[in-house]
Amino acid sequence: MGPKVFEILEPGLGATLQDRGRPGWRRFGVPPSGAMDDHAAHWANRLLDNAPDAPVVEFLLQGAKLRALSETWIAVTGADAEASVSTWRAVRTNEDDVLQFPASRSGVWVYLAVESGFEGPRWLGSASVYARGRLGQPAASGSVLCRATNTCFELPRGVAGRVVDWHERRDYDSPPPLRVQRAPQWDLFSETDRELFFSQEWAVSSQSDRVGYRLTGRPLKPLAPILSEPVLVGSIQIPPDGQPIVTMRDGPTVGGYPKLGLVEAADVSWLSQCRPGVKVRFQLLF
Amino acid sequence: MNWVSYGPNSLLFRFAEQVGEKALSRQRGIAMDLERHPPAGLVEFVPAYTTILLVFDPKIVPEPKHAAEALLERFEAAGQARLQGTAIKEIPVRYDGEDLETLARGRSMTVEQVCELHCAPVYRVYMLGFSPGFPYLGDLDPRLHTPRLASPRVNVRAGSVAIGGGHTGIYTVDSPGGWNIIGHTPLRIFDPVRGEPNGPDDAMFWLKPGDRVRFMRVN
Repeated sequence: MGPKVFEILEPGLGATLQDRGRPGWRRFGVPPSGAMDDHAAHWANRLLDNAPDAPVVEFLLQGAKLRALSETWIAVTGADAEASVSTWRAVRTNEDDVLQFPASRSGVWVYLAVESGFEGPRWLGSASVYARGRLGQPAASGSVLCRATNTCFELPRGVAGRVVDWHERRDYDSPPPLRVQRAPQWDLFSETDRELFFSQEWAVSSQSDRVGYRLTGRPLKPLAPILSEPVLVGSIQIPPDGQPIVTMRDGPTVGGYPKLGLVEAADVSWLSQCRPGVKVRFQLLF
Repeated sequence: MNWVSYGPNSLLFRFAEQVGEKALSRQRGIAMDLERHPPAGLVEFVPAYTTILLVFDPKIVPEPKHAAEALLERFEAAGQARLQGTAIKEIPVRYDGEDLETLARGRSMTVEQVCELHCAPVYRVYMLGFSPGFPYLGDLDPRLHTPRLASPRVNVRAGSVAIGGGHTGIYTVDSPGGWNIIGHTPLRIFDPVRGEPNGPDDAMFWLKPGDRVRFMRVN
């Protein structure tokens, strides 16, 4: 293990190590996992010149508190939780600095990157924690986080700071229409139901997590369940109550609910940052 | 056999209309063919009862649908392979599940009869899915077919042996679940720390698609 960089004083509502996930294990029933908002996670790593698959810490909403154990470069991106450091930029911490996220203002997931990336045990090739499958464990009070040592971040000479461009930062309270492609059961839904889906605003339900995001609105007419078949992240499933469920990164690998569409990979990261109550619309591609 | 696009990077092939040994032998034939000769840009494949999903890397295969017809032809041939006769794996079960009595009463059977019918066949693992290593087993005696619970349990513990529709399976991790629980096994069907430190990763999964399984009643 590399140098110790943080001690978790409080994990808040949830803190896990995530990277770009573990593709290739779906056929054994293992979901891909990985950072829910890969856009924000990507920028956290990029600010520090880390490899794109370097593990970051993903915090849910608010409440986390960490103590720095050494002097190091970090970057915080994603949801606004009133972080105690400047966000969307490379920041230098000193030993004993306390980093905290006291109050969630917008968005859902906060990302913390450290120079050269956090270190964690790898399961099936990835450090992403998939707690239900006992692949890794969420961080708890007292957990110590270490970093890798393959690179060392330095600001280029004469540069005062490194920040993410404004146009890359997102207003998580007003997502753009999410782009959708057809999924295998598209043809089974009536014209009326497809129109109902694309013409209305759906509210993200509070029953949403890393497994799936539930949406509430005027329900679609449910179809009979299908024989279980493979399910991709971003799939819009219509269960018997007619209220859609979008499969997220820890979601089941097979399922028997008819699938109307598939949210574009890039827009799944947008959806992941929509907190309960935020309204989303969908837009059909092709 | 036919196929549909599933988003921009994936193709879903349907190789059978009905669940059963015939569908499984096609599935195994196709899966083995993909393992031996993976098409360029294939990231992963996911076999299920009557379908198989192929996921491609868009940098290598920007439009998988152009490759679909050739793959279809290839799968028609690969699907002719015969199922291999594998050793039967035995799973000890205590028939003490929360839903056992209700299930027996619903079919005017005794608990004893339900256990006998469940223990009798040699099952095949049709697919893994839902949670890591969760085996979907068939064929279940039609007299035991039971719809899923109207509202799923918030937590079903690992090792629970259950019936959902026309299938039986074993919960491999603590998770929510809607199948009818008829018993429990002490066997760890999925164990992330099983196997040698540098051994093959798939040692975590005790059952694989195509495996043959029998339940042994224990007290």
